[in-house]
Amino acid sequence: MTVADALLLALGAIAVGSGALVVTSSHLVRAGLYLVVSLGATAGLYLVMGAELVAWVQVLVYVGAVVVLLLFAVMLTRAPIGPSRDLDRPALPAAIIGAGTGFGLTALLADAFRWTEFELPPPGTAQRVGEQVFGAWVLPFEVLSILLLSALVGAIVLSRPDLGARPDPAAPAPAPPPDPVDESAEVVARLERIAARQAAAQARVRQAHADELAAAAAANAPEPAPEPADPMHRQAHDVIFGAHENRPRVGEPAEAEVLDSRIIRGESVVERDEPIEPKRAIEGARPARSRPAIEGDVVEGELVEDGPANSRPAGSKPVESRPVEGKPAEGKPAEGKRPELPAGDDESKER
Amino acid sequence: MHAVIPYVIASLLFALGVYGVLRRRNAIMVLMAVELMLNAINLILVAADATVRATLTGVQAESWAYPVPEPKSGAIFALFVIVLAAAEVGVGLAIVLQYYRLHRDVVIDEVGLDQHDHEKQVTG
Repeated sequence: MTVADALLLALGAIAVGSGALVVTSSHLVRAGLYLVVSLGATAGLYLVMGAELVAWVQVLVYVGAVVVLLLFAVMLTRAPIGPSRDLDRPALPAAIIGAGTGFGLTALLADAFRWTEFELPPPGTAQRVGEQVFGAWVLPFEVLSILLLSALVGAIVLSRPDLGARPDPAAPAPAPPPDPVDESAEVVARLERIAARQAAAQARVRQAHADELAAAAAANAPEPAPEPADPMHRQAHDVIFGAHENRPRVGEPAEAEVLDSRIIRGESVVERDEPIEPKRAIEGARPARSRPAIEGDVVEGELVEDGPANSRPAGSKPVESRPVEGKPAEGKPAEGKRPELPAGDDESKER
Repeated sequence: MHAVIPYVIASLLFALGVYGVLRRRNAIMVLMAVELMLNAINLILVAADATVRATLTGVQAESWAYPVPEPKSGAIFALFVIVLAAAEVGVGLAIVLQYYRLHRDVVIDEVGLDQHDHEKQVTG
């Protein structure tokens, strides 16, 4: 009884005991963890017997990959966490067959080896195993790699139900695709119907629009009809009420101010409202003529004349030409009106 | 080292695997039992390499049975068996998961071998 024997017995006891728990535990996940223990103990046995590389490959592949895969499958199939009732068949036939197998194998091997003692071989290094694998066993190695590849492809194909699926014979055969030639007459008829419907809709819309236009014309026609206003009457009206109608209103700029800003650039409306100082008039290049024209009152008066007659043209030329005309004609009423605004403002302020 | 110890351990593990394959109804547990059996075979291979092959020092080299005079071919066989077990468990779990997707169950007693797949609706 050497140290190796003691190690072998201890590891073997662990392996067999956890293996028994693997096949008898009613918890699925616990069975997987007992399998880890059993495989680890077997790796220890390999180490004792000098197969170092096999032991680490066992730990890597079995414990690291296979058991993890099994536990993944346990979780993917929604196995219960607790003990499962209907996990096992009746134990007796399986126990009889298992015990018979174990007893037969044990008897055979024990009878073959008796209590013979072998000396442990020197531990095999990975270098020697590698030389063997790629020397004497290179053909099985390659075949095994092809087998692994085919197992990979097979697992992928099995996992996808749409690959290689046979059609259901019970289901009716799918109808053949319609022939475009047979379809064409129907399609053409449908397109013609659609085109006719669209043309009818367009005609309806056009008719409605024409009716609207006619109604609007009929409604608008009498309006421009009223007799042209008497020019004399209008002029009298302007003379009497023009100043009142065109008085500056608080809060909205007089039309003249807008006009004035167009006439002379660089002069703001606010400046123009203030009383004109002679100095500033002299400063300008053409003060004598343009300053009086600036005084927007003139422009207002001019607007009184022209405003109703013709709507003010957008061009700038007539605007420039107007003040010169309008200044002598309407100067007095505008000047008379001009002081009113500051006076009124002052009064309101004084109050 | 007494050679009978690893052999008996391996035979006991194999017997446990047989018992598990026959006893369990869950397909994943059956796969675990199969892993136990493959592990027992690995153990026998490694033990034979450590005991029998180690004593064959004076035997004439045969081209088919003894290709190289290095006593490590048992370990290489064990490596090959590990690879085979990995491939087996991969394909086996693919089958089990596909069956679960079709039938929502992994009980191998109720696998209808006379049924065809298209009689069941794919629900996954």
